[in-house]
Amino acid sequence: MKNNNGFSEEHLLYLKRRKRRVALVWTLRVGLLALLLGLWELSADLGWADPFLVSSPSRIAATLAALYSEGTLFYHIGTTLWETALGFVLSVVLGYGIALILWWSETVRRVLEPYLVVLNALPKIALGPLIIIWFGTGSKAILFMTVIVGLIVAILHMLTAFCATDKNKLLLLRSLGASKLQILFKLVVPSSLAAFISMLKVNVGMAWIGSIMGEYIVSKAGLGYLIVYGGQVFKLDLLMAATVILAALAAGMYFLVMLLEKLLVKNNED
Amino acid sequence: MKNEILGFEDVAYTYHTRRGETVAAEGLTFSVREGEFVAVIGPSGCGKTTLLSLAAGLIEPSGGRVVRRGTCGYMLQKDELFPWRTIEKNIALPLEIKRQNTPKNRERARGLAEKYGLGDFLQSYPSQLSGGMRQRAALIRTLATDPDILLLDEPFSALDYQTRLNVCGDVSAIIRSEGKTALLITHDISEAVSLADRILVLSARPARVTHTHTMDFGEKNPLKRREMQQFSAWFELLWRELNG
Repeated sequence: MKNNNGFSEEHLLYLKRRKRRVALVWTLRVGLLALLLGLWELSADLGWADPFLVSSPSRIAATLAALYSEGTLFYHIGTTLWETALGFVLSVVLGYGIALILWWSETVRRVLEPYLVVLNALPKIALGPLIIIWFGTGSKAILFMTVIVGLIVAILHMLTAFCATDKNKLLLLRSLGASKLQILFKLVVPSSLAAFISMLKVNVGMAWIGSIMGEYIVSKAGLGYLIVYGGQVFKLDLLMAATVILAALAAGMYFLVMLLEKLLVKNNED
Repeated sequence: MKNEILGFEDVAYTYHTRRGETVAAEGLTFSVREGEFVAVIGPSGCGKTTLLSLAAGLIEPSGGRVVRRGTCGYMLQKDELFPWRTIEKNIALPLEIKRQNTPKNRERARGLAEKYGLGDFLQSYPSQLSGGMRQRAALIRTLATDPDILLLDEPFSALDYQTRLNVCGDVSAIIRSEGKTALLITHDISEAVSLADRILVLSARPARVTHTHTMDFGEKNPLKRREMQQFSAWFELLWRELNG
């Protein structure tokens, strides 16, 4: 049996079930959020938990509104967003470039390998005091922190991808007499595109860790500053409000990378 | 030898690893004539791929010399099509690498693709093609720069049996009709018997040529050869020589 669309009844039923399933998942997602927020609000209102310690959705909303009317909300968001985005871009670009150099020269790679391993294992927060001394207590220090947190990860991620280039495809290009530069641009860069996207995803997280960590150590503004300040003066509403914004921004940035992935990766897999 | 297009003269090759050195070939002598289809068979691990790498000039012999009177095209076990390129772009890859990507050469490559049944797939991506079609595209890519000698490294071994027989027939027909010289390396005796004009049998490592046979079918089509009387006789002889 065929209808106007050219699909069989069975296929239409399949599509309908699929649609229903997607709707169900979305309903449950939103429902779960509403339930959690409702319970939170209720437990604060009814005194099951001390709102001084756990805050509540309505208090968070009020805090956000207050910050907005004071005119500092977007100042703090902007500060953190700028540090994070710039740090992210710098660590990605530098990381990609350094990984390319390491791929190009096996000698350089082998010489620097132990340094990379140690730098990767080193907790970057240990460099905090040093960064303050070198870069002062301004945005520069936070930016530096953001870059070093993401940089080593980016280098190692891309280097692994570059070195994992299919041996037979390399052989094919070599049998055609390809130069190293041709191998790089015709094979190594395009075949590592999926790894590049996954590196971006990892580094979005790294950039947020770096910038918030940086703001914990030195800052006069930003979401990390609000969180630390809120904790120090026991303004849990402020702390929670900043955390909520942070979660929304991190999700937004991740979503942008996913969008980029959709644009770039179409036919990269066999 | 007359019309020799590829010659190995007392070639030796040793490769080195940290654990020691391995003599992959020694006293390897044979030649391939223009337009000839030569198959090389040998026990596994006898250095067949080393032989092709030497023929292609990817590695230099440790001793003796390799004479090449023409350009080589290399075809590998898997098609190695680049998944992010369309079939048309894949076929043009050798032209880009060799900086011969002129409209005339592109037109020639496209003509080959159309002639051998890939015309409708030029804008498709490799993942949209069947294994047999992909291997055919790989052959057209190898032919794009119009090489004089085709080096085939077990080019059918990654295909399932049915596809394998068909692609084997296709590839043979294309190579014959383009008048190319081919050197096929395989561990599959029946493939060698069905395709080649001449078969060289290699010894275990270090590789040397132990036997040479000229096929006497009077028939170039591999599927028809498989049905002929001599086929099983050749198969048994080569089987004994490989194991003996």
